Amino acid sequence: MNTFDYSQSQAWFARACKVIPGGIYGHFSPAPCVPVSAYPFFGARAKGAHFWDVDGNEFIDYMCAYGPMILGYAHPAVDEAYQEQMKLADSNTIASTKMVELAEFMVDLIPIADWAFFAKNGADVTNYATMIARAATGRKKIIAIKGGYHGTSPWMQATGHHGLIEDDHANVIRIPWNDFAALENVVNQYDGQIAGFISSPYHHPVFADNEFPAEGYWQKVEQLLRKKGILLIVDDVRCGFRLDLGGSNEHFGFKPDLIAFCKAIGNGYPISALVGAGPLKSFAAKVFHTGSYWYSAGPMAAALACLKELKRINAPNVLRENGTKLNDGLVRIAKSHGYTLKVTGDPGMAYYRLIEDETLMLQQEWCGECTRRGAYFTSHHNWFVSTAHSDEDFQRTWDIADDAFKAIKGR
Amino acid sequence: MDIELIRARLNLYALLQNFEQLVQLDREVAQSVKQWNVSIQFSVLNGPSASLDFQNGVCKHAIGSHPNPAIRLFFLSPRHLNKMFDGSGTPIPLKGFSRLGFLQKDFTQLTERLEYYLKPDNARNEDGDYRRINTTLTLYTAAHAIKELALLEPTCNAVFSHTPAGILQIGVLPEGPYVHLVLTKDGISVGKGSHASPTATMTFRDIESANALLGGRLDAFQAVAEQRLMLNGMIPIIDNIGLILDRVEHYLK
Ligand SMILES: Cc1ncc(COP(=O)(O)O)c(C=O)c1O
Repeated sequence: MNTFDYSQSQAWFARACKVIPGGIYGHFSPAPCVPVSAYPFFGARAKGAHFWDVDGNEFIDYMCAYGPMILGYAHPAVDEAYQEQMKLADSNTIASTKMVELAEFMVDLIPIADWAFFAKNGADVTNYATMIARAATGRKKIIAIKGGYHGTSPWMQATGHHGLIEDDHANVIRIPWNDFAALENVVNQYDGQIAGFISSPYHHPVFADNEFPAEGYWQKVEQLLRKKGILLIVDDVRCGFRLDLGGSNEHFGFKPDLIAFCKAIGNGYPISALVGAGPLKSFAAKVFHTGSYWYSAGPMAAALACLKELKRINAPNVLRENGTKLNDGLVRIAKSHGYTLKVTGDPGMAYYRLIEDETLMLQQEWCGECTRRGAYFTSHHNWFVSTAHSDEDFQRTWDIADDAFKAIKGR
Repeated sequence: MDIELIRARLNLYALLQNFEQLVQLDREVAQSVKQWNVSIQFSVLNGPSASLDFQNGVCKHAIGSHPNPAIRLFFLSPRHLNKMFDGSGTPIPLKGFSRLGFLQKDFTQLTERLEYYLKPDNARNEDGDYRRINTTLTLYTAAHAIKELALLEPTCNAVFSHTPAGILQIGVLPEGPYVHLVLTKDGISVGKGSHASPTATMTFRDIESANALLGGRLDAFQAVAEQRLMLNGMIPIIDNIGLILDRVEHYLK
């Protein structure tokens, strides 16, 4: 099988480094892509489940823009809704009625939601959720999960990262995932001081197997928090609309007070949302939180079209089927080469690990070899499938995976 | 947090061990220490101590007390020791008065040579031999400093506490230097040379890349993307050790 050349990507990177810190920063930084030589840096275009880099290489995309792309790139219904709105107005001096329509749709779609609020990024709404929790309870502290990711605001980042000070974490308590006893302990230790508990619906750290909630975990958590007057915030930024259109909590059978959405909500158009239960609406109204582009109507129209389409096709089912199909095939191919591919997390956004090698080196080589053959796999993060991935894509992916296993054998 | 104590430990444990390499890497130094048969103990009152033992052209650095040092240098406090390393303080000699001349002349020359290699400027760095020695010493200093900070400095300790256990190998192609850090839940130990089965590796394409990155002239993210620095294995170890490394310069100027 042919492997790709990335000379244009590398040339652009050299240009980027001169004028942009790190060349490409944040979660798109090439740094965790190991080996870096196997990965493209700059994209040229994207359609359906595929993207093309600046060297003209075509990839079947298993990162889906790190989550936002759920219906496939350039989805006709979503793009049309966006274009139609753009003809009318996007950023404006006054609000768009699209915002009201979108909020109404989300309040109908999401069982716990009595109201919705819109912003741009995930961190905009995870931050807002903690501010509402503090405003509503008059308490300071927030409990979060060790290794949980909620964005890049100082309090959300791990200690020791550049630009942070110790005080940033003064009111954040981190406990291990799935550890109800630890939650009970901190709730008792800081009785009357805890405003909220923020967590993703299941644990999806990087570089490690993903973990579902233990049987009864969320139900016990919900009960304890209610008793103590602590607000339960679900960070559904990554999982949202992929597990259940009513919020991933519905999939796991519990009811949070606030849910933060982003990523898949607008199929790539920039928008995030916080939804919440009725009693919090007045506090949400009091907390001042806004941004220059939070009222852009184009992404709101796109989100409305995207959510309607997700509902029409029952997207969580499609994603689960697609994911299961992909995973079964990959596991089988790995086995035929003598490897065990461990798949954790939801099938449509699973994390993959070759268990033969604890260091991840084997995994990195295999993902790298797949990528340079046209199946874009990362080795550090859960992947994503979309509703646009076809059987033909999966067959091609399996062929690539097979060839990549042959390539790494004997190294 | 006692900054003076941290600096004293870095001076005694991370800086002083460089003499082991220096006598091997620099021809002039190798010549002049060939005849030395002397051990020097550095001790801080109720604090850290370390020794250097020069025999047959080899230097051995050890943490703690030497059983029978020829020269014993005593410091009243970590600050007192740090002042000597900064060039503005003098130790209290407790033993080896007959060797004071050696200390003032020969050993001072050696420390000046170490300083020369650890304080590069553009002109010096033009020279390939200089660059290699500077890179080697800087790498070893950094590895030993990381070990200390992970244990003592609160932020580094917090970072270390959520770092996976394993072996991080840091090296330079094609012919070294290499060091490896063995991370366990109790702390880090440093080994010189490569390791047979590391959990994570950071490998510089060449000495120039290592020199530029360790010298603060090359951004790590850029270096990775340009394949001047290749990462492999358990990246969270590299990320976290990188955070600790970035704090070394706050303490070792
Ligand atoms: C679970 C989760 N929460 C929050 C965020 C932060 O979102 P954003 O980067 O849009 O601020 C992310 C982003 O990856 C995420 O995965």
